[in-house]
Amino acid sequence: MVNTENAIFSSYKRDPNLNDEIFDKNGNVIEIYKKLLKLYGDHSINDYVNLNTKAKSSFFNQGITFQVYSEKSTQEKIFPFDLFPRIIAPEDWEIIESGSLQRSKALNLFLWDLYHEKKIIKQGIVPMELISSSINYLHQMMDIDPPGGIYNHISGTDIIKHTDGKYYVLEDNIRCPSGVSYVICNRTALKRALFGVFNHYQAHTVTNYAENLLDLLESVKPKGVDVPNCVVITPGMYNSAFYEHSYLAKTMGVELVEGRDLFVENDFVYMKTIQGPQKVDVIYRRIDDFFIDPLEFKPDSAIGVPGLFAAYKKGNVTLANAPGTGVADDKAVYTYMPQIIKYYLDEEPILNNVHTYHCSRPDELKYVLEHIPELVIKPVDEAGGYGISIGNRLSKSEIEQVKKQVGQNPRKYVAQPIMSLSVHPTYIDDTESFEQRHVDLRTYTILGKDKEFVLKGGLTRVALQKGNLIVNSSQGGGSKDTWVLKK
Amino acid sequence: MFLEYSISYKAQNSYENWVNDAHWQFLIIPEENDTQEFISVEFNNSINAVNQHSINGLGFKTIRVHPKQKFKNISFNASFKLIKKEVNPFGFVPSPDIEKDYERIHDLSFKVDFEPFLRTTYLTSLPKNNERLFVFNEEKSIFDNLQNLNYFVFKHLYFKTDVTDVETTLDEIIEKRHGVCQDFTHLFCALARQNSVPARYVSGYLHQGNGYFGDSQMHAWAETYIPNLGWVGFDPTNNLLTSIDHIKVAHGKDYKDCSPLRGVLYTSGENKTIHSVKVFSQQQ
Repeated sequence: MVNTENAIFSSYKRDPNLNDEIFDKNGNVIEIYKKLLKLYGDHSINDYVNLNTKAKSSFFNQGITFQVYSEKSTQEKIFPFDLFPRIIAPEDWEIIESGSLQRSKALNLFLWDLYHEKKIIKQGIVPMELISSSINYLHQMMDIDPPGGIYNHISGTDIIKHTDGKYYVLEDNIRCPSGVSYVICNRTALKRALFGVFNHYQAHTVTNYAENLLDLLESVKPKGVDVPNCVVITPGMYNSAFYEHSYLAKTMGVELVEGRDLFVENDFVYMKTIQGPQKVDVIYRRIDDFFIDPLEFKPDSAIGVPGLFAAYKKGNVTLANAPGTGVADDKAVYTYMPQIIKYYLDEEPILNNVHTYHCSRPDELKYVLEHIPELVIKPVDEAGGYGISIGNRLSKSEIEQVKKQVGQNPRKYVAQPIMSLSVHPTYIDDTESFEQRHVDLRTYTILGKDKEFVLKGGLTRVALQKGNLIVNSSQGGGSKDTWVLKK
Repeated sequence: MFLEYSISYKAQNSYENWVNDAHWQFLIIPEENDTQEFISVEFNNSINAVNQHSINGLGFKTIRVHPKQKFKNISFNASFKLIKKEVNPFGFVPSPDIEKDYERIHDLSFKVDFEPFLRTTYLTSLPKNNERLFVFNEEKSIFDNLQNLNYFVFKHLYFKTDVTDVETTLDEIIEKRHGVCQDFTHLFCALARQNSVPARYVSGYLHQGNGYFGDSQMHAWAETYIPNLGWVGFDPTNNLLTSIDHIKVAHGKDYKDCSPLRGVLYTSGENKTIHSVKVFSQQQ
């Protein structure tokens, strides 16, 4: 129990072993949350139940939905939204923002190097296996100079607050990181439900994301183009993030297209319109590398544009993010991030890395196989939380199964100590009360030609199942509005 | 010596049902390089669709066709002319220091620079029990070893058409010991790479005349990088060093990077493709 007269938090169970972001060790409310708790305390739990139901149907009616691939039915789901916001103090945000930017810049320089001289490998700072055993390393990208020198135009950095109170990065997402539309929709939804609370806090806006994204896309236009024509390309309405693709296109004021809406002629890209073909200069692509061009990559891709890669290679169109970025957000690369940051920027990493064991190294593999119950085992090349095993939640036979898998293909796995993500009070439908749930934070960083921007906010993802540590939406997570307070 | 070549390439495609939309990419134009010059290209198709000249991801010249009308039959005719220069494959100074050459190929910088042609791909992956199928004798030069490897592959497999296809992997080829030029080349590349020598898959045309294997279709061979010598071509299907008879089109990690024809088609039912290649020469 906590020291509060607050009606809605009266039954809040606080586990002293967890790092609760709004209560300190003694159960006192942390300063920045005091006013919020008071404001929320004006409502009864019944008000909550009602508001929560309304918020849910509002998301569904707007079509803010996603799909989970592993399930048989392809029914759309809403990304559960929690009405209790997360607040990030200005001094904490400074670390998160500068740390996210630092990582994105370092990764960008790393990619440039990997597709040019590869100095970092020749100097023995990172091993050659990072490229030679990565299917995401595209030889087609060798010696291409993307406009502005930018590869990872948009990066999503997944950050957690550990029990030691420090921020750790869990992974960098630099292929097609998704989720930013939820950041904006969560803010809108919370404003609609509980407008009053915003009068008491000075939170940074998040609605400026689209204009910054468009600025970025325009900044990396191909040579010789005056006013670039930008589009967003989506795999289509069955993609789990289709809502986001349409949302971003709409808010940027650009066309949302599918592969079949574009064609390539003489190495230039055109969009079919009722007024005839219109040249396209910059494509914000939400299609994975291997699907963008069936003549260059997967021949059975029905969602790509035949000839697109040649147009890109000739510099007639810009793709954001650049093809081949996947080599650098491999979880095996993650473990070298401190060295990568030091090498390219000559700086110490601002955000911490979680210690990682490479199963490809015999001594570390031995340690991993002997300590599975204390570790999280992750495949190096999967996204979306698929294939992750959390050691202390496995049965004996499951542990044996994991051991076998890792032993058979060590290069495919890394392991990390189980980090204890901080918890945040989250409204739970079943019990109609607030309970502690683990949260992380995904920040969105934009890099362009002479342009850098970190969205002041980010996606706080909540693991809705009690005790669960995986927060991905595809694994049944929810989200919260995230406020970054002004100084 | 110079030879003037004319090459004709034909592909006839017929489909059971109408094809409403199709994209083709041809990787068949001879490469311009030190021994291949003055290349002229003529290309047309039977339904008068526009032929677009472009490049593939590795920078080799391609021709793309995207018909704007539906069809059931389409044929493509290409003819190329070029001048090919004869280079004596043995006309080099033998390496003065064999040990240094081996040191060089084991050097990290070298491995990084040639990484694409040292990596194992799906089609050049040796089965575990056959990784030591051919081991270099480091007392001999790299060139000598590669010549022995060329002979080894030539002897190890026998040439047989229609028993393998472009997806056949090395475990089957090594077990059954037969195949066509791309299988010989994949095995050669895999074993060279296994011995730390960069090897790339080359597709091109072979001037028949001499009864070599690989006429009437496009041919495949390998190029390996030897310190102090550069890229040297080996044709394991015929146990030859590449010569004035080999006209290169493109190279890559394996067949997949070099397939002469890639297509994306929207149709159903059966289809049939007939390819034919003819190479004529005239001495200069």
